[in-house]
Amino acid sequence: MGLPISPPPAAPAGLLDRFAAERVTGALSGPHGCFYFLDGAVYCIESTAAPGLGSRLTAAGKVPPQGWEYAAEAAGDRRTGGRFLVEEGWLTQGELEICHLAALLDAAFFALPLLPGATSFTPGTAHWLGVIRPVSTTALLQATARRRALLDRLQPWAAADTSPVIPVGTRIPAATTRRQRRLLDHADGRHTPYELARALGESAFATLLDIRLLAAAGLVQIPPPPTPLPRRRPGACLDGAPAPAAVEHTAPVRQLPLPDVFDTADPTIALLVRLRTALEEEL
Amino acid sequence: MPGIDQVLFRAMGIPGVLGAGLIDWTSGLTLGTAGQAPHGDHDAAAADTADVVQAVTRNATFDTEGTGGPALEDLIITAAGSYHLIRFVHTAFDSQTYLYLWLDRSQANLAVARLRLRDLAAELVAS
Repeated sequence: MGLPISPPPAAPAGLLDRFAAERVTGALSGPHGCFYFLDGAVYCIESTAAPGLGSRLTAAGKVPPQGWEYAAEAAGDRRTGGRFLVEEGWLTQGELEICHLAALLDAAFFALPLLPGATSFTPGTAHWLGVIRPVSTTALLQATARRRALLDRLQPWAAADTSPVIPVGTRIPAATTRRQRRLLDHADGRHTPYELARALGESAFATLLDIRLLAAAGLVQIPPPPTPLPRRRPGACLDGAPAPAAVEHTAPVRQLPLPDVFDTADPTIALLVRLRTALEEEL
Repeated sequence: MPGIDQVLFRAMGIPGVLGAGLIDWTSGLTLGTAGQAPHGDHDAAAADTADVVQAVTRNATFDTEGTGGPALEDLIITAAGSYHLIRFVHTAFDSQTYLYLWLDRSQANLAVARLRLRDLAAELVAS
């Protein structure tokens, strides 16, 4: 875990911090999601990029789809949709809390950072699910920053985020985790990681992370760059690098940086590594 | 039907327990805590144990095919004066959480703690 990574962008946390300090209650809409506050704590987040509680529970077969719609209607103005799901016997209180927090964290990742000027606040507005387990804005920002650092470590494979997932057949069975195998099983060459996450009712963040790992392992195709510039293999030496023309017809092979090579306390070397990574992304 | 707080409260009844928590390992976010934490900092314990869990979950070595049950059950870290016990919470829906127990090594029975924590993890999500 000692890999030097570029620090996450300074989170423009001002807005959330202010809301926490002022203990506001209401809904804050941003370009990528909507935050619901109670007394300055966040208790629900919705983002179009991440599957919500309903998608997760219905995809897992915990709640029938019509049951979810019924819960939304039944909750009405009383804002007790979460309690209704438990009272119907579809899930335990523990499952409701865990699934709700998982959905909230996932949505936060895509809804943050909030840019001032691109948001609108409606005081008093509440979510129909009700308050299940609020999270402090500080904890939410820290959790999101840690997730971003995990994904940033695989930045060279970011092109795989938004392209259809095309598995690469390998002769040797590759070592993959269960999640990754499920993703590969469902990848049909047409759907992007976001669409797969929605169809499977799984975390969009975890799906992006797994697809980038699979791309890094050469198990998922990376879309070719718009111009066929030669790619340099990270870690390769200048004198030993193969001629660009020789590798042009094959899919670019990219490797994870070797941790023992990059694990350095020297800030100059760390800066050079970051610069090189940034330059490679430009290729 | 217990929620997170009730399960953590019951975890505090396990012999030798010093503290307990429920944590999301992809972000280190504490979903709930009870009792004490190493150095008095539940959030640091969550972030540090999440690092350990990430190292285990991202490697296919610990996730072998062909087994029917869940891939990972628990992790045990044995330290000078304490045990750190991490129990994966398996849910029907997608989630990445574990129960964490901090145990006094001179008071705790590791075998008992493992079984009790296994049962609590099952209670948390049993329908």
